[in-house]
Amino acid sequence: MSTQSQPVPASRELAEPPFPPALVEEMLKVLVKGIRAHQLYLPNNPVYQRALENLKRAFLPVWSHVDEISLSITESDFRWEGRPVMHEANKSESLPWIFFKDGIRELRLMKGFEEQEVVGLLDILKRVKKASPEEDDLLTLIWEKDFTLLRYRFIDLTLENNNPIEPSVPAERPEPLPPPQEMEAEPEARPGIVRLEDLDSTVHFLDEQEIDYLRTEVHKEYSSDVRRNVLAILLDIFELQTGKPVRDEISEILENFLMHLLSAGHFATVAYVLRESQELSARARELDAAHRTKLVGLPDRLSAAGPLSNLLQAMDESASVPNQTELNQLFEQLRPSSLGTLFTWLGRLQHAEVKAAIEIAAARLAAANTAELVKLIGSSDVEIAMESARRAGGLKSAAAVAPLGKLLTHEAAKLRLIAVTALSEINSAGALQQLERAVDDDDRDVRVAAVRILGARGQRGALPKVEAAVKGRSLRDADLTEKMAFFEAYGSLAAAAGVAFLDGLLNGKGFLGKREDSELRACAAMALGKIGTRDAADSLQRAQGDKDVLVRNAVNRAVRGGAA
Amino acid sequence: MSRVMRRTPSHVPTAESSADYERGGDSYIRRRGRDFIIALYSASRALKLYPLENAAVQNALHELTGLAGDLLKHERELELRVSGEFIFINATRLRLDLDNYASFSRILMMFRDAGVGVCRVEEGAGPREWTSLLTILPSATTVDVPARFAHVTGRLEAAGIRSFALSGPTDSDDDDFREKAKEAAKRTYAQSVTVTKEVINSVRMGRSPNIKKIKRAVQSIVDQILNEETSLLGLTTLRDYDEYTFTHSVNVCIFSVALGRKIGLTKLQLYDLGVAALLHDIGKSRVPLEILNKPDGLNDEEWRMMSAHPWLGVLALFQMRGQAELPYRAMVVAHEHHMKTDLTGYPKHLRERQMSIYSKIVAVADGFDAATSRRVYQTEPLTPVAVLAEMRNNPRRGMDPVIVKAFVSLVGHYPVGTLVVLDTFELAVVHAVNPVPEAISRPIVRVISDERGNLLHPGTLVDLHQQDATGRFLRTIIKLADPDRYGIRVSDYFA
Repeated sequence: MSTQSQPVPASRELAEPPFPPALVEEMLKVLVKGIRAHQLYLPNNPVYQRALENLKRAFLPVWSHVDEISLSITESDFRWEGRPVMHEANKSESLPWIFFKDGIRELRLMKGFEEQEVVGLLDILKRVKKASPEEDDLLTLIWEKDFTLLRYRFIDLTLENNNPIEPSVPAERPEPLPPPQEMEAEPEARPGIVRLEDLDSTVHFLDEQEIDYLRTEVHKEYSSDVRRNVLAILLDIFELQTGKPVRDEISEILENFLMHLLSAGHFATVAYVLRESQELSARARELDAAHRTKLVGLPDRLSAAGPLSNLLQAMDESASVPNQTELNQLFEQLRPSSLGTLFTWLGRLQHAEVKAAIEIAAARLAAANTAELVKLIGSSDVEIAMESARRAGGLKSAAAVAPLGKLLTHEAAKLRLIAVTALSEINSAGALQQLERAVDDDDRDVRVAAVRILGARGQRGALPKVEAAVKGRSLRDADLTEKMAFFEAYGSLAAAAGVAFLDGLLNGKGFLGKREDSELRACAAMALGKIGTRDAADSLQRAQGDKDVLVRNAVNRAVRGGAA
Repeated sequence: MSRVMRRTPSHVPTAESSADYERGGDSYIRRRGRDFIIALYSASRALKLYPLENAAVQNALHELTGLAGDLLKHERELELRVSGEFIFINATRLRLDLDNYASFSRILMMFRDAGVGVCRVEEGAGPREWTSLLTILPSATTVDVPARFAHVTGRLEAAGIRSFALSGPTDSDDDDFREKAKEAAKRTYAQSVTVTKEVINSVRMGRSPNIKKIKRAVQSIVDQILNEETSLLGLTTLRDYDEYTFTHSVNVCIFSVALGRKIGLTKLQLYDLGVAALLHDIGKSRVPLEILNKPDGLNDEEWRMMSAHPWLGVLALFQMRGQAELPYRAMVVAHEHHMKTDLTGYPKHLRERQMSIYSKIVAVADGFDAATSRRVYQTEPLTPVAVLAEMRNNPRRGMDPVIVKAFVSLVGHYPVGTLVVLDTFELAVVHAVNPVPEAISRPIVRVISDERGNLLHPGTLVDLHQQDATGRFLRTIIKLADPDRYGIRVSDYFA
């Protein structure tokens, strides 16, 4: 915490400062507040913006007296003109200490610093406060920033046992050098001395083309993937150097490097290693078994549940969204066995954009590995089975029909429902045949979904079950949606053969002239609309003046062809 | 006011203690100062080519007026000083780079030829005043050298131009600047050798070296090269026989960073290049010492081990822990620095690759320093000139011709440290390449003995491009000399 400067002891002779130290003290206090605000808030936050404005204003009283201000730094103090202007004893929060510990002993701020460069310094201080020991220190960060209006003096704490170069004086000579005129008149004593005319003084200026070449080379240096280049080098060394210790060392480096690249989000580079390691192991015949296993096993290890879960969790918790192309490249290198882990995580991911990116990459992987996908439909993990079934449907995988059919007997209704949807998407004869089994499912949603699809697809094999339902008692207790689904399917499947039964329901009267339940009659009307024959139309016409609003509306919709 | 402090060249480390440095703060003046010099050159050129009323001339003059006004407003003063091979604006030495060296050398020559060392620009210098100055300065060469300064000031006076205060060359500031720069360079050099030794020895013993020290050493080298490269380049002549591996790494770093600066790399790019260059031979830490230090030729097995050092360097750099990011560029350079541009050489490669520009730079710096150094197995090194000629003329060396060309223009035809005989039969050690591009064969030299062989220490700096009133060069190199034959250690004149 910053404190007011201590009063200067009367005994100490200090020159009169050019203006009151309180101005500098105030400026530093506001600087500390600015640092805090910079750490806590985003740049668009009004609190941060206010703190920054205050900070800029706090420099103005100082600049009204001088154009630059020099602060010397001790462990706990900033001093100006020999006087402490900030004292912070608690090292963990002390601003002077942050500078002091990295060797900075003096700061000189120049007018305009607060407008042009103060945010740069706040950025650096924020980074340094959070930095681990292996990250760049304050001195390096300030050096890299190349401030214009901030100067600093530092002592290099890394310098120890440095042997200085002493000024050198030529050894005492009793007599002069051999006279050059005589010496150089002798024939040339040693090879390697070239004649002056060997060098042409006009050829050493770079022309435009050469300058362009250099610029292009520098641009290439910074636009190419240097990590990938290093990996290519490592793989070259691995392939060319057959000694076991070297290969052991590189295997270990590769494995660690892979983790490093993953955690840093360099997915395309990881994909490159996985791809190249497979090619290398296929090409290099003299590889010993252990090295081959290690190389070939890299994608296996990354595809295993543990590492992949770590990766997905890290992505979900990261602030940035992975590059889609890079992610796709990485997932292409994963083993099909990774699909299960991916499917589990797709349900857990919180970061919407990350989830979307992984979804796309996972879809590509699934599409390339349908056999694994089909296998996973039978997974005992409901989440995996669901995701697999959903994707198998999306991919219209014929091979998935049987396992999906099997899913229709699964105890989890949501899984049976997804199986129904997937089978409907596959839409093959076999898929629709499997669907027939869902018409009398225990779960209402499953039944409704199945019967709608079967009706829509005209799956006549389902008619007996549908007919049994519409003519049976149990459907009478169902809700209107289910009744409607069954009746419409019945209309679609039974066609003209169903008109008599449906007309009876719609227009018939029972004992004492009592009509059927309104919902059933409305459903019968809709089913007749589906049939669309003349008899069906006549039946509907007869019911058009029905007193029951529900029935009348259904009839009108059916006549207009607006079923459901 | 404290602004006066800036009269001292602000980029030169202070000498409060052996490890006390001052940095930062003069980027504005460097940037705007460079723009000012380019504008000055453009206006001068336009005035030579077109009539005054031409739009190009008027635009150039207005731009110059604007820039000078901005500098005056920001800095409260504007002083252009030419001194030796340097141009200073308000005591800050401007840096040469690929885009500006031609303009700089013309302005340097124009002021020097006119006998003007300092030009203070006052408020109110407008297009008319600049026109007068830029017309009068070149006209000074029509009179004898001693009368030139008076000629310029007299004509300005006659034209009623009072916006410029001129004075002659000031050598004392120069000497002070050079002395401070030399001290700073010595500290940087010694620090870098110590750090390199520590790094290589750490790796040899299987320990993890301190990357922060490496970074700091390279930062110092980059700062030195950007501010005053001559002193540091001079120290590469030290070439300590016993500490060859370490001094060689530092020398390669210095040459590479200086070459990088020459081809226009930014400060951070120079830093990347510097780290890579300093660590380029780190693979040698895995080569047995008895092979490294073997005075005789190597047998096949020994050569196999020696030639493994580039790829061993990659593995050694992976050993560097304690840092957020691995030194990838340094790995690439360590691996490629003995490859030729067609990717032959060693080590071999299998995967398609393109050689890094940094590897090409380090290859040239490495080749030059290695060939000109005395080592256990090379007791008679080649002369720098011979090495340059070989690098330039022998395509089988596989060096990038553009990089070699830039290197020759960096070190000159007579690289720093070369012992030469002048036509006066004085002996001289090359001190710096001449900043005037055409004068690549006429370096700045330190005359160290008179024609009778009487030794002078520290000697006198002389610009071999200086001419007398008739245009004849005052001194010319007639021959390269072998320091051993004279019993001279050229590094004595740089340390």
